Amino acid sequence: MVMRFARMLKGRGSGGTFGRWLAACCLLALSSLAVASDDAQAFTLQGFGTVGMARTTNDQLEFVRDLSQPGGIRKHWDGRNDSVFGLQGAWQIDPRLSAVVQATAKYRYDHTYNPEVAWAYLRYEPTPSATLRLGRLGTDFFMMADSRWVGYSYLTVRPPGDYFWYLPFYSINGGDAAYAWSLGESLVRVKAFYGLSNGQIPLADRQWDINGSPMTGASVEYQYAAWQIRASYANITFKNDLPIGDILQTYSPDPAASSRYLATRDRRSDYYSLGVVYDQGPLQVQLMLNRIEQGSNSFESSEGGYVLAGYRIGEVKPYLGYSWIRSAQRNTAGRQVIETRIMADAHVDQATRIVGVRWDLARNMALKAQWDAVRGEATSIFPYRNDPANGLWSGRMDVYTVTFDFVF
Amino acid sequence: MPIRRLLLLCSMFWLLMQSGAAHAELVVVVNARSGVAAMSRNEVVNVFFGRTRQFFNGVEAQPVDMVDSHPDRARFYSALVGKDLSEVNAYWSRQVFSGRQQPPVRAASQDDVMRLVLSQPGGIGFIELSKADARVRVVYELPK
Repeated sequence: MVMRFARMLKGRGSGGTFGRWLAACCLLALSSLAVASDDAQAFTLQGFGTVGMARTTNDQLEFVRDLSQPGGIRKHWDGRNDSVFGLQGAWQIDPRLSAVVQATAKYRYDHTYNPEVAWAYLRYEPTPSATLRLGRLGTDFFMMADSRWVGYSYLTVRPPGDYFWYLPFYSINGGDAAYAWSLGESLVRVKAFYGLSNGQIPLADRQWDINGSPMTGASVEYQYAAWQIRASYANITFKNDLPIGDILQTYSPDPAASSRYLATRDRRSDYYSLGVVYDQGPLQVQLMLNRIEQGSNSFESSEGGYVLAGYRIGEVKPYLGYSWIRSAQRNTAGRQVIETRIMADAHVDQATRIVGVRWDLARNMALKAQWDAVRGEATSIFPYRNDPANGLWSGRMDVYTVTFDFVF
Repeated sequence: MPIRRLLLLCSMFWLLMQSGAAHAELVVVVNARSGVAAMSRNEVVNVFFGRTRQFFNGVEAQPVDMVDSHPDRARFYSALVGKDLSEVNAYWSRQVFSGRQQPPVRAASQDDVMRLVLSQPGGIGFIELSKADARVRVVYELPK
C-alpha cells in the first residue's frame, strides 16, 4: 500500500526509542527468570535474534522486508529492517497443557522498536496426535510464515521478498486445531485456524488499522522421508477502509463514489499456496507458489513463487534462488484520475535472483551474506516504501545484506 | 622406502582409531515395555524430529535427545539423516519459535539416556550397542 498521495501530505514519523524497548526486554527477562526459579523443571526461557545490515543500489525508493515496515533501505548501510530480538517463555503446566509467551522487538509500523507480545497462548494436547491452541497465535498463511523472524531457522538472510512481503499479517487472537495421522512411514497433518487479526499496516505517515479483521484458514501437509508438501488456503476480511478519506475529499470530483469504489472494508482477500520441500543430507530444495485474490479494487490479485536450493559443504552452505511476483491490472476505463493513481500504487511485476551463503560459525550462531538482484518493470512499486513518483524508478535494484543470527 | 612405510603405518593406525573408540556402533533403543520390536529409518526420523508422537501401536513416544557437547549427538544425526548439528538446531528453532512444539529432553550422558528411556513406557533414545541390556530393546541399527 504505497501511497504517494498520502506521503505528499506529510513527512516521516519519528524515530525509535531504543531505551524503552531495551528496558521492557530486561523487565520481561527478569520477570521470566523469577518464575523460572520457582519451578525450574517446567519453565524454559529461549530467545532468538538477528543483527542485519543491508544496502541497495537505488536511492529512488526504499526496500522493505514486508509491508509491515514503514520505511526501508536505500544506498547506505542500514540495520533497521532485518534486525530483531525475541524472547520466549514456555511453561509446561502438566503433560497435556502448556503456555507460551513470545515478545519481540523489531522495527515496526510506527517507526519505533517498541516490544510487542508476538504470541501468548495456551496449548492443549488431548491426545498425542491432536493439538489445540487458544490465545494470540502466529499465522501460517504460507509455509514457514510463522517463523519469518527466526533467521537462524532458515537458509537465506530473510524470507524471499517476492513471496512474503505481501503478507504483513503475523498473528491472530483466536484459536487453531491440528491433527496428525501416521500412514505407515508417511504422515498427514491438517490444521485449521480462526481469529481476529492483530496489527497495523503503515501507509506513509498514517496507519491502516487491520485490528479485528477476521482471518480464517486451513492447511494440509504430507511428509514422507525427505519430502514435505503443503497446500493451504486462508483469507482475511478487512474491518476498515484505507485511511485515504481526506485524499479522496481533496482530489476526487465525487469523493463518496470513489470511496465506495476503493473500499476495503468488508472486502475479502484469499490466499492460496503450495509448498514443496526436499531436504536430504546436505541438500535442501524449496519450491513455493502462491495466488492471492483481492476483493478490493484498491489491490491487484497476484501470483508469485520462489525456488531455492542450498548445499552444505562443511560448515558453509551456499545457496541460489529465484523468486517472482506479478499482479493483474484492473480495468480502469472511465475511472477518476485519483482512483487510477491509487490503484496503480498496488501494481507489482518483478523477479529476483538470489545468491548467498550461510556459515554456521559456532553453535547456535550463523553468519550470512546475500545478493538480491531485483529486476522488474518501472510500474512495480507496491513492494517498496516512499516512492517519490518522479519517474526515475527503473524497476531494477540490487540489495546487499549481511546478517548475524543467533538462538539461545 | 622407509618414509612410505611410516606413512602407511600412520594411516593404518589412524584407520584403526577411527573404527575403534570413536565409532562404536550406535543403536536406537526403546523401553522394553513399549511393545515396539523394530522400526524403519523413516519411523525413527519421524519420532526424533517430533513429526509423530506415537508408535504404530498407539503408545506415546517419549524421545530422548542428547546435549550438543556429547559426540554421540552429532554421530546420530549424521548417520540418521546426513545432517549437521547446526541444521538439526535450526530445525528445532523453527519448531520452538513458531510455537509448534518443544524439543525432546536432552541427556548429558549415555547413562542418562538409559535412565530417561526407562522412566517412561514410550521412552526411546540412542546409545552404544554395548550399553543395551534386557530392559531396552534395540529397534534400529544406525548405518556406520
